[in-house]
Amino acid sequence: MLEFLSEKLRVKPPKEELDRIFEHLRKIYPEGEDPWGLSLRKARKNMEMIWPFYKNYFKVRVFGKENVQDEPYLVVSNHSGQIAIDGMLICIAFCMEMESPRVLRPMVERFVTSLPFFGTWAAEGGAVLGDRQNCINLLEAKQSVLVFPEGVRGVAKNTADFYKLQKFTRGFFRMALQTGTKMLPIAVVGAEEFYPFVYHPRKLAKFLGLPALPLTPSLIPMPSPVDIYIGKPYDVPEGLTPESSDSEIDIHIKALESEVRRLTEEGLKKRRSFWANVNEEESE
Amino acid sequence: MTLEMKDISSVLIIGIAGGLAKITAGLLAKKYPHIKVTGVDSRPIKLEVQTENIRTVQMKYTRGNFERIFREKKFDAVLHLGRMSHADANPMGNLEKRLDLNVMGTKRIMDLALRFGVKKNIIMSTYHVYGALSDNPVFINEEAPLRASIKYPELRDVVEMDLFATNWMWKNQSDIETVVLRPCSIIGPNIRNSMCLYLISPYTPIGADFNPMFQFIHEYDMANIIIRSLEAVPTGIYNVAPNEVISIKEAKKVIGLPTIPVPLIFLEQTVKMLNFPFWKFPRYLLDYIKFACIIDSKSIQEYLGDDFFRFSTREALELLKLE
Repeated sequence: MLEFLSEKLRVKPPKEELDRIFEHLRKIYPEGEDPWGLSLRKARKNMEMIWPFYKNYFKVRVFGKENVQDEPYLVVSNHSGQIAIDGMLICIAFCMEMESPRVLRPMVERFVTSLPFFGTWAAEGGAVLGDRQNCINLLEAKQSVLVFPEGVRGVAKNTADFYKLQKFTRGFFRMALQTGTKMLPIAVVGAEEFYPFVYHPRKLAKFLGLPALPLTPSLIPMPSPVDIYIGKPYDVPEGLTPESSDSEIDIHIKALESEVRRLTEEGLKKRRSFWANVNEEESE
Repeated sequence: MTLEMKDISSVLIIGIAGGLAKITAGLLAKKYPHIKVTGVDSRPIKLEVQTENIRTVQMKYTRGNFERIFREKKFDAVLHLGRMSHADANPMGNLEKRLDLNVMGTKRIMDLALRFGVKKNIIMSTYHVYGALSDNPVFINEEAPLRASIKYPELRDVVEMDLFATNWMWKNQSDIETVVLRPCSIIGPNIRNSMCLYLISPYTPIGADFNPMFQFIHEYDMANIIIRSLEAVPTGIYNVAPNEVISIKEAKKVIGLPTIPVPLIFLEQTVKMLNFPFWKFPRYLLDYIKFACIIDSKSIQEYLGDDFFRFSTREALELLKLE
């Protein structure tokens, strides 16, 4: 189905570019697989399939690419759009649009890894279980990891709460402290409108044991143009340890929250009309 | 402080009828000709290579004469490689026997070792104790909880034996050195564990919906690690695995036997409903080909040094083809 739609969008990723990127990645993953379930062969296939959606359906633009150097990051992003399409788009941007391409490892909800077909598809593309030890092991292996510190509260918002950044949890910051990894604030603008009208029956979701239950008239995400804003890396503060008190850590978490909020607001001011075309406005 | 090999003159290997134990005995006897190796098993024993310093005895560990060989041979070290396998298609069927042999048998062996002045014990457990669960982190270290029997009670003996051995180890650490090894899937022409049988059988089901990563260690490398544990590894629990990983589909591809891709979610339900062993395939193993159980072997690798593994994962799998 995805393949069929992808054909219809008639945009193929540039072959030479893909060859260059995956040759580079092959040096990082010489076996073509890694312990977390990544498969370079499948990741490339996924990339070829999703690229037309990335380029022509969601018309993604990336700003602040110069902030990404050839080093591992804990990428900290706002979360929106009811389902994790925003995560997928960020991962494609980090693989296809950066000078130093990488497989960004998004941390996914625990239930995802138990899903047949989808769980494996996600893992082969780079997704990893959202577990603290797992994340630390990845960062120690010099991998870049994508986290959404807002959690489900961020992604599952009612229409009235769109673009209201939820409070960040602290776990990601302690992991960065433990591994000495720089954090990279990111804001995704445009993903909230994938499902413009949403209602969350929270009590029903709790009764059914689901993390969220978005009710929306459209099942297919709308072609809302997406802008990804990458902020400056946030260095691991000196003098703090993973065991530092919440109050010591909260100052830095607030600073990161503010940066993501600032990037979001900036992006909202510059956002394109719903039917924008990337050819008219090239990414910076 | 670990034992000097020159202080070891007599070694007992439990489970000598097994493929890994035979290789270990052979390597140990060759490397240290001054060591007298005694192999014991309740199963018939057939050694392919006869060496002067290896003697074998067929007996049950629960019999009185088992105690006698401890008294007479004055063992310096015991390698307990005789865990009764849970590889049967219906492991629930012999759970009672396995609990008796693996838990009570291990207790008896270790108590005798303590009583008769054995200086070092090496006990083989398995990575199966951690369980194959969807929320396993990648790189499970030795401190992780043993969750195998949460979903599969038929793995109770595997977990209980490990827990018993590790408790005993800490309790008696001032009197006897004990090393508990939790290796990943051991493969090789002489090994007949559940994963090896799965790999070398044609037309086995393979998940169309799951493709977990695996760690495989060649039997020869594993035997060398057992010997190294005797030589240099201090008391403790150690995961054993090489640094390489491979997905189960890729592993099957390397071996090159035909497989039947099926959605494991349906296969699992069918097996449950029909309640019969499938393809000589224990039910719990379905989870091991669904969810990864990747272990962290940093602790033991400190004692192995660089380039310890002689066979890469692909080579070990290729060698299975030669059977």
